[in-house]
Amino acid sequence: MERHEVVVVGAGLAGQRAALAAVQAGRDVALLSKLHPLRSHSGAAQGGINAAVGAEDSVETHIFDTVKGSDYLGDQDAIEFFCREAGPTVVEMEHFGTIFSRADDGSLARRPFGGAHFPRTIYAADRTGLALLQALWERLGSETLTLYEEWDVTRLIVRDGRVQGLVALDRASGEFHEVAARAVVLATGPAGRVYAKTTNAHSCTGDGIAVAYDAGALLKDMEFVQFHPTALLESSILITEGARGEGGLLKNASGERFMVRYAPHVQELASRDVVSRAIVTEVREGRGFQGPFGGYVHLELMHLGKERVESRLTEICDYARRFAGIDPVTEPIPVYPAQHYMMGGIGTDLHGATNVRGLFAAGEAACVSIHGANRLGGNSLLETLVFGKQAGVAAAAYAAGAPAPELHSTDLDEATAPLRAWSSRSEGEDPSTLRTEMQRTMEECVGIYRDEASLMEGIRRIRALRQRAERIRVVDRSGVYNLNLTDALETTHMLELAEVIVVGAYARTESRGAHARTDYPKRDDARWMRHTLARRTPEGPALDYAPVAFTRFEPTERVY
Amino acid sequence: MPDAAVPVPLEVYRFAPGVDAAPTYRRYDLALTPHTPVLTALLKVRAELDPTLALRYSCRSAICGSCAMRINGKSRLACETPVGPELERHGRVVVEPMANQPVLRDLVVDQAPFWQEYERIEPHLKLDPRHPMPEGRPNPMTPAEVERFHDTPRCIACAACYSACPAVAADPAFPGPMALAKLYRFVVDPRDAARQDRLVRIQTEGLWLCLRCHLCTEACPKDVRPSERIRDLKEMAIAAQGPTEPGSRHAVGFASNVRERGTLQEAKLVRQTFGVLGMLPQVPQGIRIWRKKPEVTRRPGPIEGLDELERIYAAFEPKDGR
Repeated sequence: MERHEVVVVGAGLAGQRAALAAVQAGRDVALLSKLHPLRSHSGAAQGGINAAVGAEDSVETHIFDTVKGSDYLGDQDAIEFFCREAGPTVVEMEHFGTIFSRADDGSLARRPFGGAHFPRTIYAADRTGLALLQALWERLGSETLTLYEEWDVTRLIVRDGRVQGLVALDRASGEFHEVAARAVVLATGPAGRVYAKTTNAHSCTGDGIAVAYDAGALLKDMEFVQFHPTALLESSILITEGARGEGGLLKNASGERFMVRYAPHVQELASRDVVSRAIVTEVREGRGFQGPFGGYVHLELMHLGKERVESRLTEICDYARRFAGIDPVTEPIPVYPAQHYMMGGIGTDLHGATNVRGLFAAGEAACVSIHGANRLGGNSLLETLVFGKQAGVAAAAYAAGAPAPELHSTDLDEATAPLRAWSSRSEGEDPSTLRTEMQRTMEECVGIYRDEASLMEGIRRIRALRQRAERIRVVDRSGVYNLNLTDALETTHMLELAEVIVVGAYARTESRGAHARTDYPKRDDARWMRHTLARRTPEGPALDYAPVAFTRFEPTERVY
Repeated sequence: MPDAAVPVPLEVYRFAPGVDAAPTYRRYDLALTPHTPVLTALLKVRAELDPTLALRYSCRSAICGSCAMRINGKSRLACETPVGPELERHGRVVVEPMANQPVLRDLVVDQAPFWQEYERIEPHLKLDPRHPMPEGRPNPMTPAEVERFHDTPRCIACAACYSACPAVAADPAFPGPMALAKLYRFVVDPRDAARQDRLVRIQTEGLWLCLRCHLCTEACPKDVRPSERIRDLKEMAIAAQGPTEPGSRHAVGFASNVRERGTLQEAKLVRQTFGVLGMLPQVPQGIRIWRKKPEVTRRPGPIEGLDELERIYAAFEPKDGR
């Protein structure tokens, strides 16, 4: 058995920042991830990180933009704290060694992003996540901590309402391990792979959210799923909002800049939910392009010139050229919205604490909530660092005073029994078949536009898949790097979360931010200005609701 | 626009060390459009034909560095290598694990040696306590200063360069292209205080073991050009410390004796590289060469047009202390 004071699960930006904070607080820390830390999905973040450091800009405006972007579902106390931390966080990352792009005067360069009043997004070309991830990992390299690389968390051990540790699978050996911990921080990222079309990596299967839910943690606002307006057609690879920040234009099949009609003031730089719905509407009403991979619109960068496109959007050029055979310097890029971000997650307070003692969460796996019903571009990288640190500090403080974890000799056997049963079956359900059917269901029933009928259908289909998953079968009997087993594990995790998303979306009879109900097209503050909380029961998620924190901005209609 | 599906014979390396006596190649016949990436093909195999195939993958967009493997012999990312051109060139798609790292299973290798080399160059900023970071604000850095290393984070640590490198295969003392490219990133960073120490150390810790074959740069999916960064490190190391190692003395000696005679002076170069005492172990080799090709061991006379060569050298002479 392994034993640590603080165990951080997930080694992207949030997990690493939490680990750094806990180490600096003097705790014995382990970092556990199913990927090498440098392969984390944080590295795929392109556009940048928001901080109101420009002379014309202010923290107040950042707060307001974030509140408005959230469609007033973000907690304003959390948002205030978050925006105030932005400047110091970016400076700290620069001091850790991040190689940011610079302006001529030597300051950090900034670009405009959707939903923001001023150019506020600090960047490192179009690989900001990668630059931050490398700098943080390099910084963490000079500290002492234990790394469990390519370990999958399979269950949390909670006794007497308190976290005692977790069980994890070491991919390289195929062995299950107990890891005793006084405090656990979950920073495992999103579950974007519940959808068929997603910009998320294959690894984004919500493992931490699922084990937290299983252990009694409340999941918050899971029905709010962000669709990024500009994913590359067919592969759904992300084309950064920075492309529009640099001046990229969206055009329909008749060459019209249609965003002028949907967001007259800011056009292409409206909030993501607004732009995504506009694209879907253009295609549905016959004004988009049509091809073998479905409808799409054009993202044009040609007018920006070769030099600017290649230097500021280097990765995008590569993506378009390699994955779509298109040169953005001379041709438009075919794009269509795809699942991109989960505003919801494990419900936490400002310190990353959940309703389970000793259990903390941060980053996209968590929901504080600062993004409310819709996240602004540039705020997620910032969130990973601000709240990763918060969770690490809080987990370290908690661990310092918590009793030694109590693990029983039967814990490991109990926790792994279901997984071992998967491998002993002579027949049963194939994990990838279940996964594919789940992804299709979510795409068809809980996409950008939703209504009662589609959501009912979604609930029925996901529940049927969950039943079939009881008989999931792993045919690969090898211990070493058994992806058939991790596929099964991830699929069961995602099916749990898919159910929470669709049940939450069904219950919320209004449209707010990224949750667009065609049968309830208006925001309904009287009934729905509140957070959804889902608790796991044997019959499915039990929903409850919690108030939104208001400090200064009263809700008004959201127009861009 | 999308083309018709074509038959794709995929031959995949399968091996479970400790279980299988030897690696085998299993053939899977798929029908795919030519622009389909090899990763997509392998995932199709996993989903539809054989869920026991082991490989690493995550982002499928060439940014996480997980899926480097050898495809028809070349170390590349499976997610951005379309099957079409492979079929055109080779008639089939042979997929094998990366080289220079032990196989864990099928296409999954143990990357511990690769990460150890990365750790060995101490990949983190070293600060000078006498020059603390500016309080509460970022270090100023001009676009020109940033230009020198702005693109270095493009490296996704996929290890394709490490797999392609013959020096890694030949000598465990060589840190490999990725680690050296990462070292370059710290050496040119104006925030790093250990530039001189780093350059002096790497001179004796493998810098000069690079064979200058540029296979790393050819393999790199992100245009990091490790071999060019290694060349930069060599130049900076000589400038920082002078030619103290056989490798750097060879480079400097090579340049000077060509300048002197317009052609290589083999015997002199051996002395320049190893020193007078260091030549002793080379004596038997020297005698063998002298027996077979005595002219090689003699000092050549200057070539014609030596003055022209001198002008070329002068043109490349460092100026203004650069």
